[in-house]
Amino acid sequence: MDLSLDHRSEGDRTILEVGGEVDVYTAPKLRERLVELVGEGHYKIIVDMTKVEFLDSTGLGVLVGGLKRVRSHDGTLALVCNQERILKIFRITGLTKVFPMFDTLDEALADTQ
Amino acid sequence: MLDVELRLPSDVQYVGLARLVVTVAARQAGMVDERVEDLKIAVSEATTNAIVAHQQYSSSSPVILRFGPTSGGSFEVTIVDAGPGFQPQTPEAAAEKDLSTEGGLGVTLIRGLADDVRFLRGEGMKVHMRFAVGLEAEAG
Repeated sequence: MDLSLDHRSEGDRTILEVGGEVDVYTAPKLRERLVELVGEGHYKIIVDMTKVEFLDSTGLGVLVGGLKRVRSHDGTLALVCNQERILKIFRITGLTKVFPMFDTLDEALADTQ
Repeated sequence: MLDVELRLPSDVQYVGLARLVVTVAARQAGMVDERVEDLKIAVSEATTNAIVAHQQYSSSSPVILRFGPTSGGSFEVTIVDAGPGFQPQTPEAAAEKDLSTEGGLGVTLIRGLADDVRFLRGEGMKVHMRFAVGLEAEAG
């Protein structure tokens, strides 16, 4: 039920590794971390969701909020996700057209501008 | 017959408990893993909406979930809140949504994941969802 958040930098990119469950109870922590990162000047963010066990619309909303924040600084927010159960909710909500999405972190690092 | 009832305090920390209990019951009823994942998200969405409605309207009543297997290879969940209800929107792709707000995708997900869903407004809001236990009747 816990949410884990860990971030590190690779070049000018910031990788935010998210693990565990992202729902209405835990999503505020993810929102706070994204707000902090953008506030500290991290505008090219890759959210690595490889270790996410559960994500619902509250989590989607927080990611959309993060995307809007980085875009206001001409930044980017890309997602790494290779789990069908997570990808499915991005497809149903049409968010696959909104976020740059990658199967692996290496692909995201290679493609993110 | 929805033979199990779960009464939750209006606190979002209990959404995870609702997911856990309903999905264990669904597995016991023979639901395949892929469908359990659909059910888990839909229950999370509807329970979140119900608890948030109670918080917004300062309701001290519990949110009530009733669930269980039904004839015809389905598993059904009814989630009842005491809020004023809302008019569920027709499904809308996020690319066409106003993304200036962070909410509003929950009902889209419920409609996309459940095989059948009904939103019934009475003294509160009742969301009734049906899921096939197997894969063959999965909603697109």
